Amino acid sequence: MALLELSGLTKRFGAFTALDDISLLIERGEVHCLLGENGAGKSTLCNLVFGVHRPDAGTMTLGGEPFDPRGPAEALQRGVVMVHQHFSLVPNMTVAENLMLGRASAVLKPQDIIVRMEQLAAEYGLEIDPEARIDELSVGERQRVEIIKCLLGDPQLLVLDEPTAVLQPDEIDALLAICRQVALRGKSVILVTHKLGEISRVADRTTVLRQGRIIETVAMEGADIRSLVRSMVGRDVQSAGSVLAAAVDIEGKTPAKSSSDVGPTSPGEAVLQISDLVYRDPHGVPRLDGLSLTVGTGEIVGIAGVEGNGQTELGLILAGLAAPSGGAIVVGGTQVTGCTPQEITDAGVGIVPEDRHAVACIKELSVAENLYLGAIGKFSRFGLLDKSARRKAAETMMRDFDVRASSPDVSMASLSGGNQQKAVLARELSLDPLVFLLAAQPTRGLDVGAIEAVYNRIRAARDDGLGVLLISSELEELMAVSDRIAVIYRGKLVGELAAGSFSREAIGAMMSGHAHV
Amino acid sequence: MIDEQMAVFIGSGLRLAVPIIFAATGEMLSERAGVLNLSLDGMMLMSAFTAALASWATGSPLIGVAAGVLVATAVAGAQAVLSVTLRANQLVVGIGFNILALGSTTFLYREIFGPLSRDPIPGFAQLNLPWLAHIPVIGPALANQTGLAYVSILMVVVTWLILKYTSFGLAVRAVGEDPRAADKAGISVARTRYLGVLYAGILAGLGGAFMSVADSNTFTENMTKGAGYLAITAVIFGGWNPWYTLAACLLFGFATALQFLAPALQLDVPVALLLLLPYLLALVAIAGFVGKSRQPSALTIPFERGG
Amino acid sequence: MVMKNPKLAQGTRRKLVPLQVLVPVVSTVIALGIGLLIIAATGASVVEAIEAFWDGMAGSDFNIGASINRAISLALVGLGFIFASRANLTNVGGEGQIAMGGMFATAAALHGAGGLPLGLAFIVPLAVGTVAGAVWGGLAGFLKAARGTNEVISTLLLSFIALPLVYWSVESFHLLRKPISDVSSLPESAEIPDTTKLPLLFPDNGSPLHIGLLIAAIAVVVVWLVLKHSTLGLRLRAVGLNATASRRAGMRTSFYVILAMTVSGGLGGLGGAIMILGQQFYLTSDFSSGYGFDGLVVGLLSRGSAVGVVIGALLFGFLRSGSINMEISAHVPSAVVLICQGLIVIVIAGSAILTNRKVTR
Repeated sequence: MALLELSGLTKRFGAFTALDDISLLIERGEVHCLLGENGAGKSTLCNLVFGVHRPDAGTMTLGGEPFDPRGPAEALQRGVVMVHQHFSLVPNMTVAENLMLGRASAVLKPQDIIVRMEQLAAEYGLEIDPEARIDELSVGERQRVEIIKCLLGDPQLLVLDEPTAVLQPDEIDALLAICRQVALRGKSVILVTHKLGEISRVADRTTVLRQGRIIETVAMEGADIRSLVRSMVGRDVQSAGSVLAAAVDIEGKTPAKSSSDVGPTSPGEAVLQISDLVYRDPHGVPRLDGLSLTVGTGEIVGIAGVEGNGQTELGLILAGLAAPSGGAIVVGGTQVTGCTPQEITDAGVGIVPEDRHAVACIKELSVAENLYLGAIGKFSRFGLLDKSARRKAAETMMRDFDVRASSPDVSMASLSGGNQQKAVLARELSLDPLVFLLAAQPTRGLDVGAIEAVYNRIRAARDDGLGVLLISSELEELMAVSDRIAVIYRGKLVGELAAGSFSREAIGAMMSGHAHV
Repeated sequence: MIDEQMAVFIGSGLRLAVPIIFAATGEMLSERAGVLNLSLDGMMLMSAFTAALASWATGSPLIGVAAGVLVATAVAGAQAVLSVTLRANQLVVGIGFNILALGSTTFLYREIFGPLSRDPIPGFAQLNLPWLAHIPVIGPALANQTGLAYVSILMVVVTWLILKYTSFGLAVRAVGEDPRAADKAGISVARTRYLGVLYAGILAGLGGAFMSVADSNTFTENMTKGAGYLAITAVIFGGWNPWYTLAACLLFGFATALQFLAPALQLDVPVALLLLLPYLLALVAIAGFVGKSRQPSALTIPFERGG
Repeated sequence: MVMKNPKLAQGTRRKLVPLQVLVPVVSTVIALGIGLLIIAATGASVVEAIEAFWDGMAGSDFNIGASINRAISLALVGLGFIFASRANLTNVGGEGQIAMGGMFATAAALHGAGGLPLGLAFIVPLAVGTVAGAVWGGLAGFLKAARGTNEVISTLLLSFIALPLVYWSVESFHLLRKPISDVSSLPESAEIPDTTKLPLLFPDNGSPLHIGLLIAAIAVVVVWLVLKHSTLGLRLRAVGLNATASRRAGMRTSFYVILAMTVSGGLGGLGGAIMILGQQFYLTSDFSSGYGFDGLVVGLLSRGSAVGVVIGALLFGFLRSGSINMEISAHVPSAVVLICQGLIVIVIAGSAILTNRKVTR
């Protein structure tokens, strides 16, 4: 008998149907992967199983009994545990406190937890200091805490939602091994991912979701990876080219660059020169530790690295949102070290920031207002807004950059992630002067079509002579788009690869600090 | 002479601090859970009035305190419904309750006692603990307090124990810091926050009742005079730590008591300026000493479950 | 998270408009109904109370004028509230800003302005009062920008500081207290010179209505233009919604936070100055009592609309006049109005979940 049975699950958010009539069996002792693009409904499905959301229609059974959790608390009681895409640990508490949360008796008993942690360390090799504060741990260690938290109560079903996005290659290996061990003990694992490489390594069966529906469920033995990709994207693989490879990360199949993908052989003069950049966070921890980098005109330089090695801080400093503790940044001959965002913009820098919602746009404002957020005074007379002139200009820009919205007056929040990102690109690439573009994690959370549009824009900017710095945690993306890849580790660049010599293994080794080139 | 004045000063400083200690201690726990009750002043005022009324009607100050606590807890319950369940702006709701409390206590006071009543109501006697009185300088001031004053210190200890050693305290801290994570760990965010707000209500009720039944043995219109706001500031000043909050409350109490000491010492300071001293101190405190980092991350932010 | 369907977004917005109006109206009606019930419950004659109430509000040209005069100051405080809230700041310190405005306007009128040529004699004290309120509000803005101090707490504390300052000024002979005469020795200022009093609009029919009405009308139009149609209004809104994104887009966010609070406080200060120069003519320690809360409620009721402020200010201006007369003639405590106000604030804040409902996923 299957452990978990879903029948006819439907979930709507307003008029948007996130899941449509999902029926699925999860067997005992299997690792079951859910594959799909962003927005296909994978996370929503997990959230229904974990009780974060409740279905609008359909039923679930767990171990043969009806299962309808009204919240995570009830799911936990029935032995369903989940590791979320975003960590759900309280950052200013210790590991032990986080593990006691929600399960201890009236009075806290840290000793019991420590004993149980030792058992798990012996059983799965999951070791961690119970007294360490969460915000002092690395991303990989935090994930270990999440998994320990899940395994503490001896669960029946372990749900992992995109757990590998933030991990180093060797940490991914360890995680997949744990999934297998858990399954061997007769428990079930649901693993959400959009990376085919992981699926072929760990899954017993895979279910492909697209636009809220199940396309197919296949046993992985002898399965055809290409056909899974076709099911996932809904069109033929060839047409999407390197974009697709980057988006789904087919391991070992690094795309050969077509001629249009490659930039000019010798980049021009330097547009961005970073020398000995140092940044210490408010707690005095060095996040950037003597980083030096040059980007020339007409080239795309990729920055590879495991998240949390200083990429975010580099992006914030280049955007003028954080002041460096040391070092210098020169753009096209102008010193911009520690300058205000406006001065940096005036020097010819366009920024596509990592956190679109917090930094790039104001979702409550209209598309037109967002497109001219940095130039509010451009359409005004005597301080009063000329809204019709702004609307006209915005319409033109939206047409040029294929930003799809019913009108420039609708709120930014009503746009899909892809169209929001296209709007941000439109604004930043329309700056005048413009000599350099920073694109930080520019395709995060976008679907394949939008990813393709973003890549094309970045390449076109390069071809127009801009220097582009592409920060990304997706290796395949960097290899598909960059002319040169530098690897960041603990706040400095530890190696660099020129176009033509990109290799996953070499970059992966440098990312985990193991080798220098 | 000076010693005598000092004893009076310390005694009145402590007395003035007690209601703030009660309110601030409860409020601190509620804020650790993520709910700021600007209605604290209203809770205290309602309780002060109800306690006076019940004590006057029954002749028992104990029943008065119980009634005051009951009413303050009811206000807290309403505040919790609005800030937790209905996800209303906690600050605006709080001000609404304060206006309502001022209006209804003033109205009822005039209707029931008449506009200029100064009738004393039955109150608590001071305990006069002999073993405390022997401590030099502060001894007499410490000993000559009502039982409720000692309860206020007891509540600080209890609150500290709750936060540090109980599951509920851990849940409170988690819910105020990262409600999403707490929710996914199986904690009920709403339940924890309701309990936090009710706890603040109970303690604010004790503080308000202390003002009318234990301290002045009467009720006057708007008798809290912003003590609730001072309590909230003490929580900020105290960095959401029970002991530092207690220290802040004592500071405010003594700052207020200065207006009694100054004329006795023949200091030529206008009384009006002494009146504003605690508030000025509070403003300097929150502007100067408080880093944003120590504040519970989810303070005043309603929780809504999402993916 | 975000809505992905533009049609849905529009659909929700269409529904929002009537609710935005409906909620304040319904909650006001309910609160006033409860007020009447309370009056009835005290055993007082409801008819008598309403008659006294009506008489106080609009029983004569004088009463109408007095009610509108009250509304003028409330409208200015309310405008200040919505100005700050455009930048997502909640200025609850109207009381302190009124107090500072009134105190400094009195000082200016008593010390020097009286001798100025006609016109300037009252314009200078008005300006001084406005600046005093602006400084008081701007201080909270500065603390917010420089130290991250929550403006709700700081404006409240600044009010608690302002009120003793007024008390100090009227009880100190070397400040504003009038010399002791045999008639009275109350701690209050001397009456301001006639030239500094605001000119009356209808001097012939005994109405106290003064040119503050024109000042308030101009303020309403200017605030409306700035908030809804100016680049400044858009910048304030952007900064209030998302300070980081605004900073990235080149805006000096601290400047706009301070500006919003300064203008907000300035409007309150102007309201306080008009109270002294238009109707009260001398400073007492509690001249501002309750006006801060009234203005706050007016601002909340208006839901950010300048027209809403006008309606709310008139409502509370008349309510206050009526309630004072009700207390005098029908012996019903005017605190009933406070109860109504508290209920209105609570109901409106509590129903925000209806008007701001977002589709989440």
